[in-house]
Amino acid sequence: MNLSMQENPAKNELNGSEAMSDAERTLRLIAALPAPEGLEERVKAGLRVAPRQAKVMLWPFLPMEGRRWMQRAATAAIVLVIAGGGWGVYSHIQPAPLPTAVSAPQPLNGGGGFNAAVARRVPQTLQGPVVSTPALTTEKGASGKSDGTVRKHGKRSGGKKSVEAAPTVR
Amino acid sequence: MEIVESAVHDEARQHAEEEALGALVDQYATTLYRVAFSVLRNQSDAEDAVQEAFLRVLRHRETLGEIRDHRVWLIRIVWNIVLDRKRRSKTRPETDDIADLTRVLPANGLNAEDRAAAAQHHNHVLGCIEKLPAREREVMMLSAFQELSSVEIAEVLGVTESSVRSRLFRARNLLAELLHHKRSIR
Repeated sequence: MNLSMQENPAKNELNGSEAMSDAERTLRLIAALPAPEGLEERVKAGLRVAPRQAKVMLWPFLPMEGRRWMQRAATAAIVLVIAGGGWGVYSHIQPAPLPTAVSAPQPLNGGGGFNAAVARRVPQTLQGPVVSTPALTTEKGASGKSDGTVRKHGKRSGGKKSVEAAPTVR
Repeated sequence: MEIVESAVHDEARQHAEEEALGALVDQYATTLYRVAFSVLRNQSDAEDAVQEAFLRVLRHRETLGEIRDHRVWLIRIVWNIVLDRKRRSKTRPETDDIADLTRVLPANGLNAEDRAAAAQHHNHVLGCIEKLPAREREVMMLSAFQELSSVEIAEVLGVTESSVRSRLFRARNLLAELLHHKRSIR
């Protein structure tokens, strides 16, 4: 479209304005079309039979004053029924008795403090016989100092029993 | 006694409302019909749209006193109705549109053949208008109504006046291009 318009702008502008006036003429012609005969009367007739306003309930057999009184009574009855029903439900609900003391949950493994997320479970085993490891003795030279009986830090291995049981390491 | 008085008052009020509504129908039904027809291009559909517009007015008649410009207000109502209807209705065949236009166009001393040719031409132009973007098309169609100023068109569409002017400018350019393009193809 634009390419064709760029060929001869003056001519195309003229053509464009001609086309434009053509289009506007058409639109104006349609906008000025006469309305069909009796349109107003048909619209008025339609309005006469149309419901005036939306109603929840309609009592066609009651006169105007009776209708209003009945409407108010019905409204009051509906409100009473709804309120009564609500009260009935409310009054029948028994709230759970509040506990006097709250029991604390038992801690795992009987311990308190920090949690035992990384604790290692130790199996409960019977106490077996204790095997005492023999103390090792070393000779520290040929000076005869090592009599094999008492060493400086040999508190644990002190005594006759350990001396007798200890094998000599050479 | 009070009840009887209020009933009389109600009746009088209802009568006054009916009269006001009747006056609105007498004054604006034709304008509304034209607006509706320009979009729907069908006589019975346009008439239905006018009827529906006044029914809406009837339902909201208590707000009539607050309306500053009844004409623009009514055109806005019918405009929304016809746009909604057009959106919902399926596309009519072109032959139906031409037949409708032939029927409604003024004779102006033309014979049947010329009238059919004129209707075809107008239909072709309207087809080009249909190809415009919705915003531009709406402004273009409303601007064809001599009695609507750009301020009133802006009120009907719910936009600013400058927006109406710019849309109209764009619509004219686009339409000129479309029509010229179709002519060059022929």
